[in-house]
Amino acid sequence: MFVVSSLRAHIMHSQRLRNMVSLEVAGWPPKGLFAVIRSPRVDTIPYLSYRMKQPKALILAVIAFLPLVLVSCIGATQPAGGWAGAVVHDGIIYAGTKDGRVVAINSSTRNLEWSYSTTPVSAPSSGLSCGQTSIPTAIYGTPVVDRDMVYIGTYSGQVLALNMLARSQNSTFPQQRYGEWEWDCPIDSAKSNAIVAGLLVGEDAIYVGSSNGRVYSLDKEFGDLNWQSKVLDETHRKLWTSPVIQGNTLYVSTYDGHVYALGLETGQLLDWSFESEAGFVSSPVVYEDHIYVGSFDLYLYAIEIGSNVSIWKFPQEKPAGKWFWASPIVNEGIVYAGCLDGRLYAIEAGTGEKLWEFPGASPIVSSPVLMDNLLIIIDESGTVYVFDVNTEFGDEAVPLRTISIGASVRSSFCAQDDLIYIRGEDNSIYVVDIGRGEIVEGWPLSLTIED
Amino acid sequence: MEAWNLIIGNPVLNVLIALSHILGGSFGLAIIALTIMVRLATWPLNKRQLNSTKALQEMQPKIQELQKKYGKNQQKLQQEMMKLYKEAGVNPLGCLWPMLVQFPIWIALYQAIMRALATTPENLLDLAGRLYSWATVNQAIPLNSHFLWLDLGGRGDIVLAIIVGGTMWVQQKMTQAPTVDPRQQSTSRIMLLMMPLMFGLLSLSFPAGLGLYWAVSNIIGIVTQYFFTGGWGYLNLRSPLQPTPAKGK
Repeated sequence: MFVVSSLRAHIMHSQRLRNMVSLEVAGWPPKGLFAVIRSPRVDTIPYLSYRMKQPKALILAVIAFLPLVLVSCIGATQPAGGWAGAVVHDGIIYAGTKDGRVVAINSSTRNLEWSYSTTPVSAPSSGLSCGQTSIPTAIYGTPVVDRDMVYIGTYSGQVLALNMLARSQNSTFPQQRYGEWEWDCPIDSAKSNAIVAGLLVGEDAIYVGSSNGRVYSLDKEFGDLNWQSKVLDETHRKLWTSPVIQGNTLYVSTYDGHVYALGLETGQLLDWSFESEAGFVSSPVVYEDHIYVGSFDLYLYAIEIGSNVSIWKFPQEKPAGKWFWASPIVNEGIVYAGCLDGRLYAIEAGTGEKLWEFPGASPIVSSPVLMDNLLIIIDESGTVYVFDVNTEFGDEAVPLRTISIGASVRSSFCAQDDLIYIRGEDNSIYVVDIGRGEIVEGWPLSLTIED
Repeated sequence: MEAWNLIIGNPVLNVLIALSHILGGSFGLAIIALTIMVRLATWPLNKRQLNSTKALQEMQPKIQELQKKYGKNQQKLQQEMMKLYKEAGVNPLGCLWPMLVQFPIWIALYQAIMRALATTPENLLDLAGRLYSWATVNQAIPLNSHFLWLDLGGRGDIVLAIIVGGTMWVQQKMTQAPTVDPRQQSTSRIMLLMMPLMFGLLSLSFPAGLGLYWAVSNIIGIVTQYFFTGGWGYLNLRSPLQPTPAKGK
């Protein structure tokens, strides 16, 4: 900042020296910003009017102001756009879209069975502007289908229960006779109430983590609040990871490095919790009394429930290249974990020893999916890798199939009957035949055929 | 853009996050530490500038004498003042380089603050791709955006705007030489208000972390100037022709 004041002082000296430059020549600030300020000497002429006579001063002025303009123009942040995945149920694909809709599409005909638009939200404009702008509500969690209901959480802090029949009739939402409801998460003195993680649907209740730092249990039928937990992460508040159920306990990982155990019926914190120096980035996975969870410190942790010490952390020799963002899956004593460094690891669940790895070309953001003996991963560049888990690999696995869908993928995907359903970041749905190793279909959600 | 991130954007981001971890997880302290580091790194350039400012202050009696003498003959006044500057080895436009050096840092810092605080899931994922594999850096994530009363990722408030504008005004006032020309006096007064006002307004529009950087940078500038030039300069100016005498040399 000193240089700015010095610049100003020196322009003044330069002015005295040459009597050519006055402040108004600097064009600082631009017209309009202080247009109301007028010269104390010449009232009829805007004081900041351009009266340039000195090129050097102009250069200085441009150089000084340019960065401020650049700063306001260069996008350092990405707005919340959402990456809701796709799920298939009874031949219908359910997905959240970039324009804030939940859609149901017939997988055979591509017909749009129904669509529900969430309410757009107001967001501050970026850069120098102080105004508000209306943007579609982002959806990150994949829709959950349970009987005739579709449940979804939104970035605007709502949980929606949509009835398939009521939506297909395009009835006004919520249709209570069809059991539809919406629930608004309180902000609760936090900066946001956004729901980022996927919903966990239990027997009678829905469990949801919020950006206000609490976990909520909602009645599945009416959307009534059963309980709310205490704020689990006072520092960051963001609970962007999904909880997981084991028996009568709900396990939640937090960005401040805790795994908490909550009573399923009451939401009360149970005696046991695990604390790590680094925060946990992925949702936890429970397998045989062990919790597997990725951390910001570039390790995957295996924690024994009830113990305060991790049983192992992976990799054992040196940390991974990036975070274990996606939740791992565990099958028959083997943990399959994708990493943002592009590698897929198969790890012995009991010991943490690496069985094999596969070096992909792009970060792995989505969790792997197991379909019979086939392990499927998709990296961020949209390449699908299929592995036969029964194959004896050496240090490095070789994929059975490699298929590129040609679009970036961040969302979760689902597999059914040799087909996988993917929502790409280009807001398109792709259907890939794993057996044949080719894309069956791919179409933009905006082109879905209306009935 | 890739080159920018590789050379400036990502290094500033990683250093900022590493500093945050070293300073007990305080992102605000990390910004302050980075500001000090930037000022140290640009010290050779700033020193030259301070020397120039000091020389200009010491030349004021002679400048005012010339203004009195040739006030009605601007051409002659220009010639004489140019001669004076040349004899003293002062370049009135010599502040260009330190300013050029700081501008990319402003931009990089703005980007680093926004990226490091990762307010959306997309930003958090993007952050992962920009971090070095240093344990210090990764263990610091996610950062705590609160510092004093500020949310460093949110827009600055009126208090921060006043601090930024106020400290900038003081710093400018310390370096603003007096003048006898009535037109230049009014220009000078407007200039003295313009920049603090503008940066105060910018503090309301940009992340509070950037406002914190500006405020700390101003304060460092004031302190440096005070000790280097030996006093408050023209801050205590009573009359255009009676600048406060500098303390020491």
